[in-house]
Amino acid sequence: MLIERLHRDGSPAPVGCSTMTTVETDEERAQRFERDAMPFLDQLYGAAMRMTRNPSDAEDLVQETLLKGFAAFDSFHEGTNLRAWLFRILTNTYINQYRRKQRQPYQSSADELTDWQLHDAQEHSASAPRSAETEALERLADSDVVEALAAIPEDFRLAVYLADVEGFSYKEIAEIMETPVGTVMSRLHRGRKLLRESLHDYAIERGFIHPEPALADPIDEERPV
Amino acid sequence: MSCGRPHEVPCTQVLSLVYVYIDDEIDEVQRVQVTRHLGECGPCVEQFTIERRIRERVRSACGCEVDEEVRARMVARFRSVTYRTDS
Repeated sequence: MLIERLHRDGSPAPVGCSTMTTVETDEERAQRFERDAMPFLDQLYGAAMRMTRNPSDAEDLVQETLLKGFAAFDSFHEGTNLRAWLFRILTNTYINQYRRKQRQPYQSSADELTDWQLHDAQEHSASAPRSAETEALERLADSDVVEALAAIPEDFRLAVYLADVEGFSYKEIAEIMETPVGTVMSRLHRGRKLLRESLHDYAIERGFIHPEPALADPIDEERPV
Repeated sequence: MSCGRPHEVPCTQVLSLVYVYIDDEIDEVQRVQVTRHLGECGPCVEQFTIERRIRERVRSACGCEVDEEVRARMVARFRSVTYRTDS
């Protein structure tokens, strides 16, 4: 047990501990947790900021995540993904506590979607030339991108954040959000569509794209075969 | 905006795979089909390019670093709660 703990992250046991034969103390465990988990502080805080949308709540959320993570550190299994494990605690804590505090009942809007793939194939919002859309993206300020993301519903926002910013796989996001992979895919799909529309609106607002009469996207129209 | 040419896999199907493709979560058979389609269809390439750019833009804009002061405070609070002297 001791050996397993010391080598949990796959690295050599710290000098001075390798010959220990006694059980790991709370303090040693806290130090080990600090060493392994604290490097993810920026990432956890970034996600917490996108969840709570304010620095003070984000700090509290991360703080609580660290303490819960530490309390449950014994249940973390060697060889599994510590980063995803911490994100799962963060997400759970957010859902159970902060959302309740805000009196926003958990609503899984994405789960109500059906046939999203079919639906999506019929839906394109490009009313400006594509090159203009791409160019506008580069010109938008970071703060506009952050706000555009903040504007989309929570489940979608979180899925997009975990995929795009953190680079988690669908499977990891499914574990973090405790949903099936199919739900992750539909949330990502819908979230990115909404985000694209939201970015488009910001680009128009900033004058980077000039609104044109909406044209039906020819991709969706019947074409000669 | 479609190139109007017939493709082995239609544009609508290719476009429905844009996210699994850019996320690298697509299966190998479909990946080959999509890549082949993109080689012959400009409008779909544009769509894929935009989606990729959005992803990159979100990544560059929405990450966040903890302020040093905040970091110090969190570490200090963590230690005050967890570090005990085992006596």
